[in-house]
Amino acid sequence: FRFKDSLAEDLGKADLVISHAGAGSCLETLEKGKPLIVVINEKLMNNHQLELAKQLHRDGHVLCCNCSTLVETLQSMDFSTLKPFPPGQPEKFALFLDKVVGFQ
Amino acid sequence: TGGHTTEILRLLSCLPESYSPRHYVLADSDKMSEAKIRSFEQARAEMFSSSQFTLDRIPRSREVRQSWTSSVATTLYSFLYSVPLTYKLKPDLILCNGPGTCVPVCMSALLLGLLGIKRTIIVYVESICRVETLSLSGKILYYFSDYFIVQWPGLKEKYPKSVYLGRIV
Repeated sequence: FRFKDSLAEDLGKADLVISHAGAGSCLETLEKGKPLIVVINEKLMNNHQLELAKQLHRDGHVLCCNCSTLVETLQSMDFSTLKPFPPGQPEKFALFLDKVVGFQ
Repeated sequence: TGGHTTEILRLLSCLPESYSPRHYVLADSDKMSEAKIRSFEQARAEMFSSSQFTLDRIPRSREVRQSWTSSVATTLYSFLYSVPLTYKLKPDLILCNGPGTCVPVCMSALLLGLLGIKRTIIVYVESICRVETLSLSGKILYYFSDYFIVQWPGLKEKYPKSVYLGRIV
């Protein structure tokens, strides 16, 4: 799988995704509506990369674990507790920008 | 770079054609963004026949985790490089979202503003990855941008002059 251009096709076919806490991976998976387990390795990642994973977990969109608890998470996982991840709204940005530059 | 480009293209996706021509400025070492941009602009040209864009590159201001002292030197070098580019483009609006590349470009625009040559509106959108802390570019441009947008309420609390519109990418 090293460095495929896009995981979109694979994500589309998946029933479950287990990923590191990278923002791109998390968001792409959630946008496709796939259940996601985020594996956090605090030793490898610098603090800011964990911010999004932690927030997604707090908001109930993903399950989290670390390398040693992965197996137990897979055994006990219950995705019914997770909430769907609503898409971002770039149209709000467009409205804001129109006001800023005086287009409206 | 990568994630920043994806985010910025999503921000552009809902903008009408009045935001034209679009001038993209990339770091010289960025290999992946150009393809994404061209593909975005291609789709755009199919919808709006008058659609126009340009693409320029400047030296990368800072590598990830580059040391402080050498970062100042490389950013200064990028700044000197970007001044003539910004002078040539004279943008009405700069939209940026966090890669080191945006700092020298914004600084050139500020310089042109100070010299009375061109007043540019600077809009900074912090990445969606930034939930609790700002990126280095964000920390700098919070003070130098006209509008500073954050995507999580925690940041709005910490940085009261910022604008919070919810998640916009």
